[in-house]
Amino acid sequence: MKIDASKPLEYSTEENSNKIFGFWVFLGAEIALFATLFTVYLVMVNRFASGPSGPEIFEIGPVLYETFLLLSSSFTIGLAVHAMRHGYKKAMMVFIGITLLMGLAFAGIEVMEFLTYIHEGATLQTSGFLSSLFVLLGTHGAHVSFGLLWGGAILIQLWRQGINPATANKTFIFSLYWHFLDIVWIFIFSFVYLKGLM
Amino acid sequence: MMKQLFPIRHVMGYLASLVLSAAALTVLYADLSDSANIVILLITALIQASLQLFLFMHIGENTETKKELYLNLAYALFVGLVTIFGTLFIFVWGWYA
Repeated sequence: MKIDASKPLEYSTEENSNKIFGFWVFLGAEIALFATLFTVYLVMVNRFASGPSGPEIFEIGPVLYETFLLLSSSFTIGLAVHAMRHGYKKAMMVFIGITLLMGLAFAGIEVMEFLTYIHEGATLQTSGFLSSLFVLLGTHGAHVSFGLLWGGAILIQLWRQGINPATANKTFIFSLYWHFLDIVWIFIFSFVYLKGLM
Repeated sequence: MMKQLFPIRHVMGYLASLVLSAAALTVLYADLSDSANIVILLITALIQASLQLFLFMHIGENTETKKELYLNLAYALFVGLVTIFGTLFIFVWGWYA
């Protein structure tokens, strides 16, 4: 393993650089995935049949909490990468921990939101609008939930191995993933909730 | 150490994204036309996405792969935007009608 000391640890071997590049390519595919889900939603948004429409079920309160939590967690995972580049293991682990806690809170609020919808008679099967809404939000929420497991596993490895080329690389790639989920949420916030409520 | 842990550019980027989210809320409270609202949402969302991409994800930092990353992103956005607007064109805006 050839280590290039002039680069940050997460890029330091050819394998590491390739993994980061490969993850960007994967994120390109994720853009296509979410584009198709937004497409279906935008086509189905007015097809609510005998069920409730968007303005009838959306509530801005929980959505603002979700937005704040995801924006803040995107900020703290960025801080974790900065701390990592300065070699501050403890600060880095604290920032990742805060990120995951905020992600968990986000997922919790989203589950409550789904339960409220279902309680109001808005289920996955009710209408085309609700099917596309649940699939769009659910795919994003499933990504966040998977990220919690992934980030948790990285945190354990950092605790056991410290900052080395392998753990630095994993953390950096995880930060790309988490920022990407925040970008997707910005579009959900704007073009599902705000557009629905305006 | 605090300066290293909380780089000023990063903190400003975070505050900017909070301000932009709040700015997007004007579509709920100001009585603007639908098209003006959509323009506001598009602008605030695109600036926020760029903040994430350039500031937080450091897309341009590795000179060896910079060109390829931008190319990959451009291609993904092309596929995504053609999917979204091509479909809206046909199914929602009634191009065939």
